Amino acid sequence: MSNEGRSNEGSGELTIPGWGSVEFGRRLGLKALGATAAVGGLAALTGASAASAATKSKVIKIGYVTPKTGALADFAGPDNFVLSLVRGSSVFSKGMTIGGTKYQFEITVKDSQSNPSIASQVTTQLIQSTGVDIIVTSSAPETTIPVSAVCEGAHIPCVSTVCPWEAWWAGVDSKNSIGPTGNAVGSTPQYCTMFFFGVPQFVLCFLPMWEKIRARTNANTVYAAMFPNDSDGNAFAAAWPPTLGAISAATKGPKWTEVFGGAYTDGTSDYSTMIETFKTGSGGQSCDFFINAPLPPDFFTFWTQASQQGWRPKLATVAKVMLFPTDVYALGNLSNNVATDCWFSPNAPYRSSLTGMTAYDFAARYQTVTKSQWVQSMGSTYSLFEIVVEALKKVRNPHDRQAVANALREVNYDGMCGPLNFSAHTNPAKGIGIINPVGIQWKPGSTKLVGHKKWAWSPYVVDNTLNPHIPLQASLEPTNG
Amino acid sequence: MTWVNVVTQGVLIGGFYALFACGLSLMFGVMKVINLAHGDMAVVAAYAAVFLAPKLHVSQLWSFLVIVPLFALVGYLVQRTLFQRAIDRDPFTTLLVTFGLSVVIENLLLEIYSANGQSVSIGALIAKSWQVNSVIYVSYVSLVVLAVAVAVLAVLQLFLSKTGSGRLIRAVSDDHEAAQLCGANYKHVFGIAAAIAFATVALAGIAYGMTTEFMPTSGGINLLYAFEAVVIGGLGSLWGTLAGGVGIGVAQEIGAHINPAYQILAGNLLFLAVLAVRPRGLFGKRTSLNE
Repeated sequence: MSNEGRSNEGSGELTIPGWGSVEFGRRLGLKALGATAAVGGLAALTGASAASAATKSKVIKIGYVTPKTGALADFAGPDNFVLSLVRGSSVFSKGMTIGGTKYQFEITVKDSQSNPSIASQVTTQLIQSTGVDIIVTSSAPETTIPVSAVCEGAHIPCVSTVCPWEAWWAGVDSKNSIGPTGNAVGSTPQYCTMFFFGVPQFVLCFLPMWEKIRARTNANTVYAAMFPNDSDGNAFAAAWPPTLGAISAATKGPKWTEVFGGAYTDGTSDYSTMIETFKTGSGGQSCDFFINAPLPPDFFTFWTQASQQGWRPKLATVAKVMLFPTDVYALGNLSNNVATDCWFSPNAPYRSSLTGMTAYDFAARYQTVTKSQWVQSMGSTYSLFEIVVEALKKVRNPHDRQAVANALREVNYDGMCGPLNFSAHTNPAKGIGIINPVGIQWKPGSTKLVGHKKWAWSPYVVDNTLNPHIPLQASLEPTNG
Repeated sequence: MTWVNVVTQGVLIGGFYALFACGLSLMFGVMKVINLAHGDMAVVAAYAAVFLAPKLHVSQLWSFLVIVPLFALVGYLVQRTLFQRAIDRDPFTTLLVTFGLSVVIENLLLEIYSANGQSVSIGALIAKSWQVNSVIYVSYVSLVVLAVAVAVLAVLQLFLSKTGSGRLIRAVSDDHEAAQLCGANYKHVFGIAAAIAFATVALAGIAYGMTTEFMPTSGGINLLYAFEAVVIGGLGSLWGTLAGGVGIGVAQEIGAHINPAYQILAGNLLFLAVLAVRPRGLFGKRTSLNE
């Protein structure tokens, strides 16, 4: 197996030119490099002794690093519920027989506080003090990248999720980068794996919705782009236009014209100038479509001001915000028919590989137990533990880190997030599993949805071009009619 | 017309900055206290509007009717207990105490309400605006906030210059030991000033909650703008604070008009320029509140 990351030209039809080669994860990369240098080296030293002590243990220790507090805490909302289900599953409660020995599980949770340096700090604690065998982590580059970087340095098998793979790839190893066709350049991490999706999937998810609305409302092909001056924003700003152009050209679609709102600073409190730019549009046409990747409070401010100032795009497809009900409730009626991506839906025909529980029951039970609305991060968090079990099925000694890491990179199974193959030839690199999101729109809730519980706002699957397994729940409507 | 819009929007957002800075300006002017928990207190007010007001059967829109007096009371109590003890020691202790308070508030809010974003719901009003012409739209909420800021500052200025209590506050602010010799209970006067400052911070916090989504950690960035507005306007000068807020707002809009990346930078540059050229601020005097 070559060390070179595989390009996704393997998927055939599409070549995606010139994007993201610089901005992707350069800073995240530096950050992660610092983390590896500072704590990873230390962890590698002391980790060795912890490893030898743990070799004979009948307990498999799993560490879970998650942003329970801070700006990303929304993602971790379902953690307690998901962990209780995982711990209650027969494999975790009764133990697992590996190589003729029965092993029990122990899961230790650490809070990253939505802060990259705390994330690497608690990972080091997990490795040094708790003596974990495997680390799983979720939610945004700020958590997953530092955790993965420390694990890679300390030779601890690691699975992460909910982070665009491009940022993760370039962040885990500072020598890695994203090539001119959106391919992964550099060396594949030996101990770290991940599953989620990347910018091409965002385009493949949003573009069909743009096309449908364009056909239905005679909208133009000018779109507004609101990308902040931060790592996600810069990555999107660099990657979105060429990826969109390439995919649209490959599907014989129109040529889209971008109106860029400018690399604003996070936390800006007034967007009138940007809104004016979008209203002016390009070639005498106001922007009919809208794409962004902002922080939630900034989207709130922007979107209310856009409404006040009379800019109403025909369709808004947002990334990074409106994933969770809290953003939606804060915006109230202005949330209506705002579209975003969805990587786990109760509507999906998927089941737990641990217990056979359906995605529908999973979400319905969550709502009954926690009395709060289901959120999509519950599915990805659950799958982290499924993947660990899948990998452990293939090893003879769960304390053999190299073997566990190798098994993780070969995982190929069906679970809560659908079919997932870490070693498919279409993957950007070995150990990066790709799930296909669907397009959702927020609309007033209904008793017909999961658990027959009506919430003020619910996400409805409105476009399943990228993942036809997940049935539609409502028709795609213009954000502003 | 574009430039008219730039300035209009700048003045509107500047009104909000001024309202936010008003309490900070007053606390510094009278007690020489730089309240680092100022931004967090505003966030507390916004949380109170979302969670406390409905329990008292007050809609979130009208929540200020309850929360502003409540904050005034809290302000008086906090000043008489916590802040006064710190002032009695030295200015450095005051700074540390307010910093500690800021950390405690953020963590308490996080513990109680989690990091989920909230906003003060005012229904369809949030999306409404007054269309002046094809370019200029004036948001009703921003307009009201600007009007409130001007009204609050005007009333405060009148109160300080025309009423007996106002004169007492100014006397204490000038020299609290001399005022005490003349029979003024300066600790009570400090309490009154803190009550007013807290009342205005409650107004600012609720206005903030209406215009954006806030979290327990949202206080810091607003403290920065408020601080800049106070320094630009001149420490302790209330009209100066309004000028400072509007100055930052307009500078930000002009910066954004050149390139959205310069929006925040432009406000900070104005702050830096004023500090360099006129360190006591536009309207700063040696005897701060005494005009």
